Amino acid sequence: MELLNQISQNLQAGKAKIVKGLVQQAIDEGIPAQQILEEGLLSGMSVIGEKFKNNEIFVPEVLVAARAMNMGAGLLKPLLAQDGVRASGKVCIGTVKGDLHDIGKNLVKMMMEGKGLEVVDLGVDVAPETFVKTAEEQGCTVICCSALLTTTMGVMGDVVKAAGEAGIRGRVKIMVGGAPVTQAFCDQIGADVYTADAASAADAAAELCRATA
Amino acid sequence: MATVTVNGQPFPAEPGTPLHQVLRRRGGLEMPCAGQGRCGKCRITASGALSAPSSAERAHLTREELARGVRLACCVRVEGDCRVTLSDSARSQICLSGVMDAVSLRPRFHACGAAVDIGTTTLAASLYGADGTLLAQASAANPQAAWGADVISRIEAALRGEGGALAACVRGAVDALLNQMAEQARIAPGEIDGLVITGNTAMLHLFTETSPEPLSHAPFEAARLFGETCSAGSLGLSACPEGSVYLPRCVSAFVGADITTALLAGGICGKDETRLLVDVGTNGEMALWHGGALCCCSTAAGPAFEGAGLSMGMHGQEGAVDHVSVRDGVLLPHVIGDVPPRGICGSGVIDALACLLETGELDETGLLETSPALIAPPAALTQKDVRMVQLAKSAISAGLRTLLHTAGISCPDVAELAVAGGFGSCLNAENAGHIGLIPEGLVSKVRVLGNAALSGASMLLLDEELAGTCEHLARRARTLELSANPVFAEYYTEGMFFGHGTDGL
Repeated sequence: MELLNQISQNLQAGKAKIVKGLVQQAIDEGIPAQQILEEGLLSGMSVIGEKFKNNEIFVPEVLVAARAMNMGAGLLKPLLAQDGVRASGKVCIGTVKGDLHDIGKNLVKMMMEGKGLEVVDLGVDVAPETFVKTAEEQGCTVICCSALLTTTMGVMGDVVKAAGEAGIRGRVKIMVGGAPVTQAFCDQIGADVYTADAASAADAAAELCRATA
Repeated sequence: MATVTVNGQPFPAEPGTPLHQVLRRRGGLEMPCAGQGRCGKCRITASGALSAPSSAERAHLTREELARGVRLACCVRVEGDCRVTLSDSARSQICLSGVMDAVSLRPRFHACGAAVDIGTTTLAASLYGADGTLLAQASAANPQAAWGADVISRIEAALRGEGGALAACVRGAVDALLNQMAEQARIAPGEIDGLVITGNTAMLHLFTETSPEPLSHAPFEAARLFGETCSAGSLGLSACPEGSVYLPRCVSAFVGADITTALLAGGICGKDETRLLVDVGTNGEMALWHGGALCCCSTAAGPAFEGAGLSMGMHGQEGAVDHVSVRDGVLLPHVIGDVPPRGICGSGVIDALACLLETGELDETGLLETSPALIAPPAALTQKDVRMVQLAKSAISAGLRTLLHTAGISCPDVAELAVAGGFGSCLNAENAGHIGLIPEGLVSKVRVLGNAALSGASMLLLDEELAGTCEHLARRARTLELSANPVFAEYYTEGMFFGHGTDGL
């Protein structure tokens, strides 16, 4: 549909105000909220995610595109709730205790929302117990931990341990990422998934949610 | 025991020892990414009984280079006798001069006094006589670069138990500067009886061998902020062990004594006017003086402007492109020294991007028409380099805007933006405005201070009564936290593009 395609195009260009206007127009024209979300906003974000993975675009475009998506999604949220539309999965995300860097974490969050996932954002300086408690109480499928400092990435190992002690490793997967994190480190602490960039993280989380749905 | 011969000098080493540990003992090695095999910049030439090339080396070095014996020092292990050639770093253009506010001569020394700035990348020092005349100056690379270019790598090394080695190497380098200046001025090093040593909070921790553990994680509360006097001997300085050393006070874990002294040199505080100070390095530190109060913040700029972060980035030394202009759509690069270009330094990066924007080879979103874009072959900027700079410049600009926003003022209210450190006098303010490193409204207000941290330390040396004012200021300064600050996040996103790429928001 042309209108939804326009939403997707303007979202990719980061034109937040235009996206908001077009989403309102689509609602007024009676297009179902779920269709606007999937064929307009999420389809635009998936193009952004692909381009990001291929190095064609970078953080700035993702940030402005995500801002455009959020402005559109804000209008859709009450309608989706009304229609009883459920997100395709639920994850919690945070920067680990001792670390205050949130730019990478926010990028991952945006990409995940762009995949239609519900993301519980725990913010920065998050204690291992908080990740585990949130996952248990809110029924998250994935815990995503971010760290930017070599001096704080060790806390990710504590999250893995805490999840093991709480006995949730069977139903909750743990993903790790951040500049100093590597696959070798992920293996060493016994986390489930490492991804090198935000778009791959969103793909991996969506895949984990699909697998357990 | 095997023998590693480095540039003709033998060093004993147990087989199995990482080669960089041996090279650290000699000095002169730089390992920007702290030995993770990521940056490919610790190149050496080696032959003999060495470990086979690692996957990181095969990724960074061409087949011909490997055949010639080029290796990455961080990846190689000593397996027996071997020979290593380490090219000593080219002459650096370390900025020593700086603007200095007027002082009354009330020196904190009798015969001779020295001011020293311990920067993360470079060390700089000035020697003064009793009548306040400048006798000599000297500079050197910070030898702690062998543990990584950034502060966190070195803090981490100290926490692994290498704090003693980190302290010893920087103390040795400061000693060498003191001896060198004494020789230039034809005095005995022992005549230096008063010193002021400034630096960022982490550098002062490592220099004094104070555990940097509190600086390694949130809430980043430094246990020691200095503003204290001790003897040179107790700090392991052997050039003038009897000398008394004053370490100026830091504001916080991320806003160090180098900012305190730069503020002093720039005469930023005390007047009625509203003034901003920014020091662009691996971290961007900023301070706003407004309404009789000082508010500081610090943002991770990444090493984009310091060389380590870019594919062909380097310090401002021989062979670095330090300026670029455009004539008739063609880039005209300027290279430091009478040598072929080897890479590009911070001021060159800013100019190059401004020029590429002008010629249309770089669009407003940061996409290069062709990557890499040649600046002065072989020196070039890749698409990834441009992205790094976008993150860094946006962080600096957003930090400045957040300071203004928090104080409830805007660019027209600011009398001056003083630029200290890194770029020295090389920064082209207009180009910095074009690429969005500095908000456009502040470009005409830029005053370049040069090495203000060192000038401020000299002022504290020449007038001991300034210490009280300086400490009072540092103690009362407010620190603005930018992480998880929504105002900062908004400006940060807005400032990522070049020019007016964010219309429609």
